[in-house]
Amino acid sequence: MFGYLIKRLIQMLLVLWVVSLVVFLMMSFTGDPVFMIVPIDATEDQIAQARRILGLDQSLPVQYWIFITSLLQGDFGQSYVFRQPALSLIVERMPATVEMVLVAMLIAVVVAIPLGVYAGANPKGRLSRIIMAGSLMGVSLPGFWVGMVLIYFFAVYLGWFPSSGRGETGEVLGVRTSLVTANGWHHIILPAVTLSLATMAILLRMTRAGMMEVARQDYMKFARAKGATRQDVLYKHGLKNALIPVVTIFGLQLGDLIAFATITETIFSWPGMGKLLIDSIYRADRPVIVVYLMLVALIFVVINFLVDLVYTLIDPRITLK
Amino acid sequence: MKILSQKAWRTCTLGAAIVVGAAGASYAQTKSLTIGLTADPSHLYPLAGEELSSNIMYYHLYDPLVSRSADLEFGPGLAESWEQVDDTTWRFKLREGVTFHNGNAFTAADVVFTVEKARASIRPDLVASIASATAIDDLTVEIKTPQPYAVLPNDLAELLILDEEYTTATGDQDMDLKPMGTGPYKLQEWIKEERLVLAAHADYWGGAPKIETVTFRPITNPATRTAALLTGEVDVVQDLAVRDVERVKNEAGFEVVTRPSLLNVVLGMDARETSPTIEGPNPMRDQRVREAIIRAIDVDALNKIVMNGLATPSAQYVPESHLGFVEGMDFRQMYPLDIEKSKALLAEAGFPDGFTMTLDATNNRYVNDAQIAQALASMLAQVNITLNLNIMPKSNFWGYIRVPSDNSSFIMSGWDVPSGDAGSMYQALFYSRDKKEGYGQVNRGGYSNPALDDLVDRADATADVAERDAILQEATKLLMAEIPMIPLHYEQDIYGVRDGVTLSPRADKFLQAYEMDVE
Repeated sequence: MFGYLIKRLIQMLLVLWVVSLVVFLMMSFTGDPVFMIVPIDATEDQIAQARRILGLDQSLPVQYWIFITSLLQGDFGQSYVFRQPALSLIVERMPATVEMVLVAMLIAVVVAIPLGVYAGANPKGRLSRIIMAGSLMGVSLPGFWVGMVLIYFFAVYLGWFPSSGRGETGEVLGVRTSLVTANGWHHIILPAVTLSLATMAILLRMTRAGMMEVARQDYMKFARAKGATRQDVLYKHGLKNALIPVVTIFGLQLGDLIAFATITETIFSWPGMGKLLIDSIYRADRPVIVVYLMLVALIFVVINFLVDLVYTLIDPRITLK
Repeated sequence: MKILSQKAWRTCTLGAAIVVGAAGASYAQTKSLTIGLTADPSHLYPLAGEELSSNIMYYHLYDPLVSRSADLEFGPGLAESWEQVDDTTWRFKLREGVTFHNGNAFTAADVVFTVEKARASIRPDLVASIASATAIDDLTVEIKTPQPYAVLPNDLAELLILDEEYTTATGDQDMDLKPMGTGPYKLQEWIKEERLVLAAHADYWGGAPKIETVTFRPITNPATRTAALLTGEVDVVQDLAVRDVERVKNEAGFEVVTRPSLLNVVLGMDARETSPTIEGPNPMRDQRVREAIIRAIDVDALNKIVMNGLATPSAQYVPESHLGFVEGMDFRQMYPLDIEKSKALLAEAGFPDGFTMTLDATNNRYVNDAQIAQALASMLAQVNITLNLNIMPKSNFWGYIRVPSDNSSFIMSGWDVPSGDAGSMYQALFYSRDKKEGYGQVNRGGYSNPALDDLVDRADATADVAERDAILQEATKLLMAEIPMIPLHYEQDIYGVRDGVTLSPRADKFLQAYEMDVE
């Protein structure tokens, strides 16, 4: 287990280093950030002054060297556009994204698992067909369209939910979250539902496929023959064995949603960090993009590690080496 | 749908009326307003950078020496009055009794400090027309310009005054989060990307603001902005989507307010002997070819088909309100759409079979910019000019087209002059390159005409506004005959407003709650 941890840690550092290098190289093709900052009619001297202030007067390898050395001292660099530390720009927007993703994943799991088990256990049933058709829509409808439809129906037409924004927040352990106020929940429902649809559909289909696979196994028939109830057989014996791929997908989806909830955030003007990434790409704000993508890489590595741990819980035959 | 939302609306106002009635017994009614912006500001520190949302905040939090009205008239701001001592020396009498939000008194030292601070910042352009600033006494500042400059007050409308003591103690990085000015509003709360709340500065020198609390919400997605307006979550939205204009107009309780903006979308043409994307000699050196191009472009069709009628074809390089505008002159009347004439001009110039070149344009900077570029390609195809399109996002664009513009022959960009003076535009865009520091730095086509250089020099040598205006008008006439650049149209600023909110949009697009009121 300890050796496994060390191996993972080294892997992680390698991934982070490669990400930073790739982003640095990529950003040298996306235009000079200084022109996003100075006025159009700036003179050469004014441009040179801005370059000096932003540290863009150095060559790219030197800039990368400065970035890496200050990184090792815990300084993640400053945004060209905001002139604020890049890390704090991301971190202050993170709770909003994470809370929305968690609610979305909760909705996805609560809906997808039971429906998936049902559809897997009764593949020919009429209800199963309806569920599967619905899940096909969930996979194929674009999120921005679903978001707009939800806004127009539930906010503008029915007036049940607010159209956008985060609403009131409270503090839990120093983190601002809207999950502790009624108004906050009122605001989070529509974006979370929008965000959950695609994941819900994928989880549902994975669960169904797993259940259909497992249902043919001898131990299922045996358990039933032994006298276990249908409910018990499905959820205790069947689901547990069908769950490995579902958990894998769950982990990947979780990372994906945290990192790239951009579209949902933009549509509901949810003050999360995904929007920051897109804005930063438009503005060629390299320090923010580098730190953001490194953070995302870190999140993925951590989630995958946790998924591995969960495997051992679900299936004791699996060990971490 | 309409009935339902009206019903909801009535319930809302009823609820509000009850609350107000109960509160009204002990307090005066406080007014508040929520505005949906297209983006969160990047800065609250005027020397940290410039974009629309930040500009809007700056002018709520800070004041300039010279104020600029909604219609670009310049008048007293923090300076009560000013006089010209000689051709290059101006004396500004400052307003007495003005305080910053922290209670510090505003003095001449703050003005001198701001000028010096700007000089070393990322925005030295703000003080390019100031050679030096000196405090004569607590309430008098003397400003020297590098050369006679008749429109110094116009430029000063963009220089927002900082509190020397506070700014020095706070530092640049924190100034962005904890601004301190003399403006009509002070910062109450800013949660990034969520909301920015301003509270009225009751001791404001111009009188206390009518609206007590102003909340700005960044709502990037245009359709969501419309939805937030219709559900009553915001009272005003900036940049109402063109496709939602009819919808909002038809909804009871809302109106659409528009105003032509200052942003002139222009086509810059290469004037060098050879052009990067054209084989052989550059046809556009010939005035007849330039005239042929302008005559082939149907500005009205662009407006109707691409812009949904929400653009104003430009008559000249600057709008009517500006120094240098010539009454009665119009590109569209001088060179009306005429395909036959255009072809004839090309033939006369020796290009009967037309030629091929590339148009550089953006796809995320101006309203429908990529579609405009496509429309231009099909219009110019009618006179056998083949336009290849090179369309890119703005983050690549400005670096790609910049002087010396070694990649570009034909460029679509935008230009606005909020200082109300054509001189700054002509000096940057049309003055010969590399002749004088600060002149011709955006002359991408390498246009060079000694007569124009001379006119700009003369305009910048007089300290008299009327004389400057007359000289710049000469320059306008010369440029309109020469056509180094083709202006297309001004974009329209569109706002959605709920009934009961008074909003008269500003020419410079800077929403200002101090000038607004709610019922």
